[in-house]
Amino acid sequence: MTPGDIERRKNVRRTALIMAGIALAIFLGFILLGVLRS
Amino acid sequence: MTTAVADAHEQHDDHGPARGISRWLFTTNHKDIGTLYLVFSLIMFFVGGAMALVIRTELMNPGLQFVHPEFFNQMTTMHALVMVFGAVMPAFVGLANWMIPMMIGAPDMALPRMNNWSFWILPVAFGILISTLFMPGGAPASGWTMYPPLVLQTGDAFPFLIFSVHLMGLSSIMGAINIIVTILNMRAPDMWLLKMPMFVWTWLITAYLLIAVMPVLAGAVTMLLTDQFFGTSFFLAAGGGDPVMFQHIFWFFGHPEVYIMILPAFGVVSEIIPTFSRKPLFGHDSMVYAASCIAFLSFIVWAHHMFTVGMPLSGQLFFMFATMLIAVPTGVKIFNWVATMWRGAMTFETPMLFSLAFVFLFTIGGFSGLMLAVAPADIQYHDTYFVVAHFHYVLVPGSIFAIMAGAYYWLPKWTGYMYNEAAGKLHFWLSTIFVNLTFFPMHFLGLAGMPRRIPDYSTQFTDFNTMASVGAIGFGLSQLVFVYILLTSKKGAEATDRVWEAPKGLEWTVPSPAPYHTFDTPPKVRVAQESFE
Repeated sequence: MTPGDIERRKNVRRTALIMAGIALAIFLGFILLGVLRS
Repeated sequence: MTTAVADAHEQHDDHGPARGISRWLFTTNHKDIGTLYLVFSLIMFFVGGAMALVIRTELMNPGLQFVHPEFFNQMTTMHALVMVFGAVMPAFVGLANWMIPMMIGAPDMALPRMNNWSFWILPVAFGILISTLFMPGGAPASGWTMYPPLVLQTGDAFPFLIFSVHLMGLSSIMGAINIIVTILNMRAPDMWLLKMPMFVWTWLITAYLLIAVMPVLAGAVTMLLTDQFFGTSFFLAAGGGDPVMFQHIFWFFGHPEVYIMILPAFGVVSEIIPTFSRKPLFGHDSMVYAASCIAFLSFIVWAHHMFTVGMPLSGQLFFMFATMLIAVPTGVKIFNWVATMWRGAMTFETPMLFSLAFVFLFTIGGFSGLMLAVAPADIQYHDTYFVVAHFHYVLVPGSIFAIMAGAYYWLPKWTGYMYNEAAGKLHFWLSTIFVNLTFFPMHFLGLAGMPRRIPDYSTQFTDFNTMASVGAIGFGLSQLVFVYILLTSKKGAEATDRVWEAPKGLEWTVPSPAPYHTFDTPPKVRVAQESFE
């Protein structure tokens, strides 16, 4: 495995975690919106 | 390029596909998972189609004929859920799985094991959803929009509905993460973002939409669940909640969802029209910007689905004009496709026929959408068959025709054999005639005031309903031609690597059928492109 491959793996993991984090934040955000509005 | 493919192929002689069922259960190969998605979506297409035929058979004549009204409502609800989440979305994910890694020169999806999970969650979700048909109280019957308080009257099926929607959302989010990560990190050197094929671009934008809105749907149905079982009152007026808030949240998901189902279709058509016009796509970059604009606008138009709830005039004006604005980037796309064909050396193989029908018929769906965007007129159209006509024009000769076009276009690359062209053209003409016979009369029914989601109607609506029902049965039977073509797909002539006369893109540089592993060594994009020109 070349240094480029290792770097790419890190990037893959980082991008995936950011996307998953955004999805979770939106999910919780909308439930919070529901709590605040009801 | 060819050397790179050959080298990669040699390295993998020792581990091709596993044998038997384990190949499909445990596969992490993007082509296998693409096939699984496509087969699953075809099965769901027939399941959802059978439900549509129950609806159309009941509506063939006025009066209650064959099914109880309760079951009719279950059919409308389940037909929509199955078609949206089980047929159209998985079909595009299947095409994405098959084609995106090959189009960007990647060896596979970035997260192959998650890819396997993304798929196998789906049959479980739909197993749960379809099992509700056999539960006390039957399947959900409140419409796919699941509006409270009606949806809270669902019987034992309610928690199963919510759980299956959660699973579908999870599958979509995982698939979307995989596509974004793959496109951003796994492109071959020299495959710059603006050089990517339109199918890849439209899928990248679609994946961002999925990440943004599937959690919204998950949040909305979670709140429904807690309202039903945990004593909360998010949407219950009696407890201080607001049922209209559900509609706002649902359509904040629901409108981008429409674009999730149409943007990849734009991508497929943008691949096919240049190939059969023998010209490069007109205005590639403007197509990318137009798709991005459509995606952005999809977040600020949601309330045009609910003009009748009683919103301030300023709200109606905002959502009306914002909705009309979508016609601009969509028009850019339509004109670019027409300009691509202009003075091209066009031929009319089955993928091109489906793509041309897409351009014409999707535009009809777009125009009726503009009519619905006019707030004062929408008060009249709301909840009539005009709406049913509109969204079926967008989804059937829109999304589903694009899926068919893509399937015919790439089938020789998948199987290594040319499909039966005469049967393909028969499938196209039957589908096109019957799809119009089914959905065009619904415009007239809606304008005349026939409400949607009803099992019975006034006798003056009979003729158009009978026409629509005959069309629906014809359309359903026509799809058996497609199944015949698939079953006999390995009996045709052997396909060449390029398959068509003038296709562009890395996927056409690999052999037909595409080897189990492609691009283990990144291809040289420039070399591949020059060898084409």
